[in-house]
Amino acid sequence: MIATCNLQETQVHLYTPSRSLLLDYKRRIFRLVVSLLIVCSASARDARSVMADLILSEKAQQGDLIEELSTFGDTIITEIYEAWRTGEIYLLDQESSSQLLQFTTSQQWALIKNGEVINLTEAEVEKAKKMRPARALRKQMKRIIDTLGLKAADASLRIDSAIKLGRSQKLEFIPSLEARLLIEPAKEVQLALKEALAISQLANGNEAEVMDAVRSLADLKSVASRAFLQTVLAQEIENERGDEPLAEACQQALSKIETHIKQQEFFGSFFRGISTGSVLLIVSFGLAITFGLMGVINMAHGEFVAIGGYVTFLVQNLFIQVWGLSSSAFGWYFIVALPTSFIVAAAMGFLMEKSIIRFLYRRPLESLLCTWGISMIMQQSFRLIFGAANVQVNNPTWLMGNLSFGGFQMSYTRLLIILIALIVVALTWLLLRQTNLGLHIRAVMQNRDMASSLGVPVARVNTMTFALGCGLAALGGAVLSQIGNVGPSMGQAYIVDSFMVVVTGSVGNLLGAGLSAMGIGLVDQLLQPSLGPVLGKITVFIVIILFLQWRPGGLFPARSRSLED
Amino acid sequence: MNKLIRIISRFVTFGALAISTAFTHLHSEDTVKVGILHSLSGTMAISETSLRDVLLFTFDEINASGGVLGKMIEPVEADGASDWPTFAEKAEELLAKDEASAVFGCWTSVSRKFVLPVFEKYNGLLFYPVQYEGEEESPNIFYTAEAVGQQAIPAVDYLLEEGYTKFYLIGTDYVYPQTTNIVLFEYLLSKGIPVENIGGGIRYEGDVAVSAGNYTPFGHTDFQQIVAEIKDFAASGGACVVNTINGDANVPFFKEIASSGLTSDDCPIVSFSLSEDEFRGLPTKDLVGHLGCWTYFMSIDSPANDAFKANFQEWLADSAPAAVQKEGRVTCSPMVLSYNGVYLWKAAVEKAGTFETDAVIAALESGISFDGPGGKVTTQENHHLTKSVYIGETLEDGQFDILEVMPDVYGEPWLKGTFK
Repeated sequence: MIATCNLQETQVHLYTPSRSLLLDYKRRIFRLVVSLLIVCSASARDARSVMADLILSEKAQQGDLIEELSTFGDTIITEIYEAWRTGEIYLLDQESSSQLLQFTTSQQWALIKNGEVINLTEAEVEKAKKMRPARALRKQMKRIIDTLGLKAADASLRIDSAIKLGRSQKLEFIPSLEARLLIEPAKEVQLALKEALAISQLANGNEAEVMDAVRSLADLKSVASRAFLQTVLAQEIENERGDEPLAEACQQALSKIETHIKQQEFFGSFFRGISTGSVLLIVSFGLAITFGLMGVINMAHGEFVAIGGYVTFLVQNLFIQVWGLSSSAFGWYFIVALPTSFIVAAAMGFLMEKSIIRFLYRRPLESLLCTWGISMIMQQSFRLIFGAANVQVNNPTWLMGNLSFGGFQMSYTRLLIILIALIVVALTWLLLRQTNLGLHIRAVMQNRDMASSLGVPVARVNTMTFALGCGLAALGGAVLSQIGNVGPSMGQAYIVDSFMVVVTGSVGNLLGAGLSAMGIGLVDQLLQPSLGPVLGKITVFIVIILFLQWRPGGLFPARSRSLED
Repeated sequence: MNKLIRIISRFVTFGALAISTAFTHLHSEDTVKVGILHSLSGTMAISETSLRDVLLFTFDEINASGGVLGKMIEPVEADGASDWPTFAEKAEELLAKDEASAVFGCWTSVSRKFVLPVFEKYNGLLFYPVQYEGEEESPNIFYTAEAVGQQAIPAVDYLLEEGYTKFYLIGTDYVYPQTTNIVLFEYLLSKGIPVENIGGGIRYEGDVAVSAGNYTPFGHTDFQQIVAEIKDFAASGGACVVNTINGDANVPFFKEIASSGLTSDDCPIVSFSLSEDEFRGLPTKDLVGHLGCWTYFMSIDSPANDAFKANFQEWLADSAPAAVQKEGRVTCSPMVLSYNGVYLWKAAVEKAGTFETDAVIAALESGISFDGPGGKVTTQENHHLTKSVYIGETLEDGQFDILEVMPDVYGEPWLKGTFK
């Protein structure tokens, strides 16, 4: 072990070979490290200094240092490595000495070699250079980190690590996997360890062990092992033992896994269909009100969706300015953005109805041309205000990641979209069926003149309904910002889909719009695996055309004001 | 009194006439017209406006140092409006009406295909600056762009070297991704990658597998199914993704990838259409660790690049026209390839001693070198360039950390069928 490293000497070579060190890292990002440095034990101190040497080492020395690191079983290596990888490690180069520092969660500077917290002057902070590991080194480090991952506190990290070690099929990992299996408390991790061991045995075990491995992989329905089982099978056939028990077992295992994958794919597609349907529903629900109920052919619907996206962007920027990108408060921006975008767009819808739309109620053709014009004006204003390029909307950290059960995963964003779609539908239903305003809206939509003569304030109800539709459109835009682009023409991508949903679901019927959104989403996702995205989309359109030929009025044909006109 | 007025008015008329003749004289004799043919409106405007900007900068830089053969460059801007027939019309206008000595322009391959017959008909000269699929060699076009052999092939070489054995191909459904993937498919097979290790759907002609790839429409928004497929594909390890998705459809793609839990360590994605300029509108957080391959990166550390970046920023701050966006500008490969194209044209004109198209093309074909911001580039007889290829990893600030440099890669457009 190199006990003390003379930094003054090494630093000359340091800055020439490695490109990553040469980059301009003046911009300091005060981000947080995943975890605090643990109080170091004797062995940790050794691991720490080896890590420090590694960070400053040249390519030629790295092999030895990594070899040395693998003799430690200390999780401090993972922590320092993570900090290094994410750019939390800085080199402070001073006249007298050089120090490697870590910028920790508590916004303090700690020495890598012993974890001691020190204070830096402003000038020193300015001078510190960010360090990053080269990609080649990261690949080598992965082995150590993966073995250490078996000891991680988080069960999902242990599962990842086990599968990775198994997939490498290296004999050297089998002892650590077996050792962990004996003491592993969590059931899912135990399964992952068994799977990893079995995959590893496929390449390393004797005949009986391979046979056992194949059987247990079949029992585990291990998707990850498919390629490895195929290799074993191919070898058996090559050696002309295609009819022996091992080959047969492989085939059985493969077909069992294949069936399992098919099932998963079906459920996966089903879930994805619901999720696509929810996106369609959220985007088109506003239109189902302005076009469906009120009969205004609102070509500017897409731009109200875009308003939602831009409001989310603005709220995000406000949060970044006030609290900073890495603060815990930042995560809440999306929750704030949802009602804000609804209110902003509803207010704009209110103004638009008062100034333009109310003159166009019995004139569908003029309303089409007029709202189309408005849509262009709005698009151009987005370009003038926010620039022609798309804007960046970051997902809050709590929305990243996914929920996995029974082998397939649903991302949190998608789950949230389904949830929001449900809430929107429920609230709109309540509003229309359980409130006075809802009663008025329905009355006006059925027969404006009769409602008016019965004392319903028709003009006000129209304005409120239109504002509601625009607000819902923007809510859709806010949700879309989490899974797609926010830009001046984002609305254009969804306007066709929205009209498609509303027409298929029968103009004037909210339930129909909901069902048609789900139906289109499901058909789309169930067709995609076999047809591909392009042909899948075309087929969906053909299906819709045929459906409308068969039922011109959509799912639930109803008489609405626009049809009577 | 009347007489006096008459004399004065005559004097003024004469003066004005003299000045205006002098002015036209200056226009026709001391300047040379050069065309800029990019989309300044429509969907492609986001990308192409940056190239217009860098071309204006380059012309100003050359004019400030004395012009070309003693003549000042007079740029003529034409807006292709992201509409391919418009590109052809504007090209005709530039060549027939303005008699532009050279035209710098086009981004999408389809726009290039539309203007190609126009340039051949009028014997014009076009410099094309954006990575493309190859399989083309017009006598009237110079491709300063990366050919497949200078982007896709080196990137795949790098991934093979890194030990990846499974390749998933995904792209937008048009000529560039489709053609690139045909070449890549042949290349992967020639490198011993079995067909079942190439993902995205194999395309057969009869019984023979000819290509692979999952293609999405322009502006596709729903990548759930594809990402699920990639996860499945990557389940047994050693997998990577080759991404030729164009434009902003990359945002939903990378967001879906990020939320699926696939990391760049498990399954790196190498993208061919995302440069520093595109990162301005992308959530780069979702892209960190994924790879890019170009013949220039803004992070190249060389005096030539430092000077180029500094001069460009200075031009933006001091002398750029009002229409040019000034804040947050970066430089990227297509911009530098436009810049290189102008200087190569200048060198060729000076070598030929004339602006006459045939002589300039002959000079270019004879091999002209220019030390650009991305290193030395040299023209070849086949109208492509020999240049250095860089492979980089995306950082959080939208820059690339350069991982590997492949110096002096020959530009070969005809790769289809050569890897059998």
